[in-house]
Amino acid sequence: MDKRRYFIRKILNAVLTIVLVASFNFALFRILPGDPARLLLPKGKTDPSVIEKQRKTFNLDKPMWQQFVFYWRDTVKGEFGMSFSEKRPVTEVVAERIWPTVLLVGVGTVFATIVGMIMGVFAGWRRNGTYDVVSTNLGMILYAMPTFWFGLLMIMLFATKLRWFPTGRMEEPGVELSGFAAFQSLLKHLFLPAFTFAIAYVGEYHLIMRSSITGVMKEDYALTARAKGLSENAVLWKHVVPNALLPTVTVVMMNLGFVMSGAILAESVFNWPGLGLLSYDSMQKRDYPVMQAVFLIASIAVIIANLIADIMYYYLDPRVQA
Amino acid sequence: MNGSSTITERDAAVAQPVPRRFRNWIVFWAVIVWCALELLTYPKDVPITSGFSEILKGFFSPEVGSYPAWVMVVLAVACVLFGVLGLVRGSKAKVMNVLLLVEGAVLAIWAVLAGGGLGAWAAGANDFSYNWALQTVVVVIAALCVWYWAAGNPERAELVTWNTHQVWRLYRANWQGMVGLGILIFFVAMALFAPFLADHALLDPNAQIRDPATGELFGPYHAPTAYYYNWFGTDQVGQSVLAQFIWSARISLMVGLLAAFMSTVLGAGIGILAGYVGGWQSEAWMRLTDAFLVIPWLPLAMVLAAAWGQNYWMIVLIIGITSWPGTARMVRSDTLRVRELQFIERAKAIGSSTGHVMKKHILPNVMPLIFANLVLVVAIAILSETTLSFLGLGDPLNFSWGTMLHYAWVNGAAGLPAWWYLLPPGIAIILVVLAFTFIGTAYDEVLDPKLRKREESTAENRFTARGEPAVAAVGGAGVGGGGGIFTPGVQTDDAMPDFNQPAGGSIRPEGGGGWVGGSIEDDEKGGE
Repeated sequence: MDKRRYFIRKILNAVLTIVLVASFNFALFRILPGDPARLLLPKGKTDPSVIEKQRKTFNLDKPMWQQFVFYWRDTVKGEFGMSFSEKRPVTEVVAERIWPTVLLVGVGTVFATIVGMIMGVFAGWRRNGTYDVVSTNLGMILYAMPTFWFGLLMIMLFATKLRWFPTGRMEEPGVELSGFAAFQSLLKHLFLPAFTFAIAYVGEYHLIMRSSITGVMKEDYALTARAKGLSENAVLWKHVVPNALLPTVTVVMMNLGFVMSGAILAESVFNWPGLGLLSYDSMQKRDYPVMQAVFLIASIAVIIANLIADIMYYYLDPRVQA
Repeated sequence: MNGSSTITERDAAVAQPVPRRFRNWIVFWAVIVWCALELLTYPKDVPITSGFSEILKGFFSPEVGSYPAWVMVVLAVACVLFGVLGLVRGSKAKVMNVLLLVEGAVLAIWAVLAGGGLGAWAAGANDFSYNWALQTVVVVIAALCVWYWAAGNPERAELVTWNTHQVWRLYRANWQGMVGLGILIFFVAMALFAPFLADHALLDPNAQIRDPATGELFGPYHAPTAYYYNWFGTDQVGQSVLAQFIWSARISLMVGLLAAFMSTVLGAGIGILAGYVGGWQSEAWMRLTDAFLVIPWLPLAMVLAAAWGQNYWMIVLIIGITSWPGTARMVRSDTLRVRELQFIERAKAIGSSTGHVMKKHILPNVMPLIFANLVLVVAIAILSETTLSFLGLGDPLNFSWGTMLHYAWVNGAAGLPAWWYLLPPGIAIILVVLAFTFIGTAYDEVLDPKLRKREESTAENRFTARGEPAVAAVGGAGVGGGGGIFTPGVQTDDAMPDFNQPAGGSIRPEGGGGWVGGSIEDDEKGGE
């Protein structure tokens, strides 16, 4: 398939899916039981005039198709209404929460990918050896473990008992730091949440990398590389690993879209002020406008991550180009 | 070892319609199911200390917990529907269909009684007692249904018996699978026997436990001691963590199983449709699957749980509708494989309708995959339930392991540190999830000989030693349609029915072509 057609098809697919998901988001808050106007109000506010006003601001008094058009106009412009728990535009509330999440998720993903892959490479290379059996079972346990529970254990051990790290938040309340001290404090605060976030993925990447390595080692070219007298290290790192990376990279990219679930848990447990904590807080306050926006952002993140995975695949795997 | 899968001449002479092993199963499982249902509805307020006769009476107590009436309605409608459909189509197991109608009637009566009578029917009312009697009747009729199904379809029963036997033989050799099964049986037993293990009254909001030695309250966050109810210490108000832990097993397992079942039914149905019908319909189903696949499940589940309120049926529903796309994709790709097999062409050539082929040929052939997937989805569903409960979206009236962790979290158990409150539920979740993963992987390996570790498996050694030609029965398994679980000739040393012949003595010679699975005459009728 030629390059342009492949890319155009993938991009069109992504756009179509975004449209579908955004429409689903529109429908979701209207098929929910109860009056959507009331849903979009804080609990306890049942004054008819307030509800009527709410109906006007959200265009809920208009026919469905008009609501749909308005919804799209607002979404494209990036307007999601007012957050009633913070009395500010949702866009503003969400925007300041994005960077902490990106930092947490970025550090966590890089850590998980590197550690998980290296663990998996050695496990797959010496399959059924002692290291493989131990690390694979460990990987399965990590995979089966609830992230938030691990986070609580981390707090218990490293924050409460040993006092190496703070129990949460992004910085000490009431302490102004600058320069290197601020950076150090940020790292200290980042460590536990990022580690907790990463640990579930370490298990998954380990298992995938291991099975991928095992598969590649059965291939003829691995045998040939060995037969022509290359050292074990050269076979592993020059011939086996590059080929085994492919499926793992795809899974990493796919997972990158689903980080929201992990972020919600890690951030709630550690009070990390990102999108995850925001969605947890807004769920407790029934702050639907914020939830709607976070939900949409999370969905679009998945679609874009998938698109990037497809595009990367084109360059990584020559077979797609053929 | 050989049992009924060997068709001896003596068996043929007696002409038994139901394979012996199959009969044994019915008797065995009917009792197990009856006991499980009885234990599930066992009254929560009969304490262990009340003596043997009281405990025995508890089984037949009129004051038992009961199911929501709407569940009965759904079951009754399903039974009647299947019964009528079977009768209209003139299926071979006529008695079974009649029995299904009877079962539907019993369930309908139960629904009315459980809904508080005809006068003021309410889908959730639990006024009715004597569930145990109706439960017994339902289980007995269900067992009879299975019996008459086997009597009506002897060749299918034969095949099911043989396949299950083979799967179990291979499964048994997998140590991980057996470990998983062991863990699972332990936790299921704990959940079922909860009334005898811990007093449910200890879960009431004000039921603090006392130290029997001193007679004083343990108080909040007391560390574990040797006293039974204090094995896992106390929580933030001085309640027994052990009692919570034991009763939580029920909700966690139940919600996980139900949600996984719902997700699998949805996913398998859509997967088979998308894989078999072809054309724009397939495309539409796949687009829908893709759209659902990219929806991040936790934010969606949080929105839904916040809007729909908090009880366990909602959690089941939420997990069910957010987790089916993975199953759908997998089932679809397997359907695409099965669709190209020859016996499908044969069925289509003699005029079977699309629905008939999907039901009688595609479904049985993708069934093993669906089952293996179901086991893995249970693990995911239990984790999902834990996550939702942890975030405070669980049923506030019923404990699950996730709810326990939620209370531990919001009450600052990690800051004390009250490790006895945090560790038990977490470890239990890990063990149960691992158990399901092990079982799923082991079953996968049984289904797919390529995954089996040839060098190590003792079962495999036994098989390769015999070295039968691999092609011996390939055609048979394919034509059978009823259960191409694995290519039988490759690894069996057990006598197996020859699929190219009418299946042994259990089939009446005059009964049609004798193809195992959907017979030709069956397929011709299915065309309407």
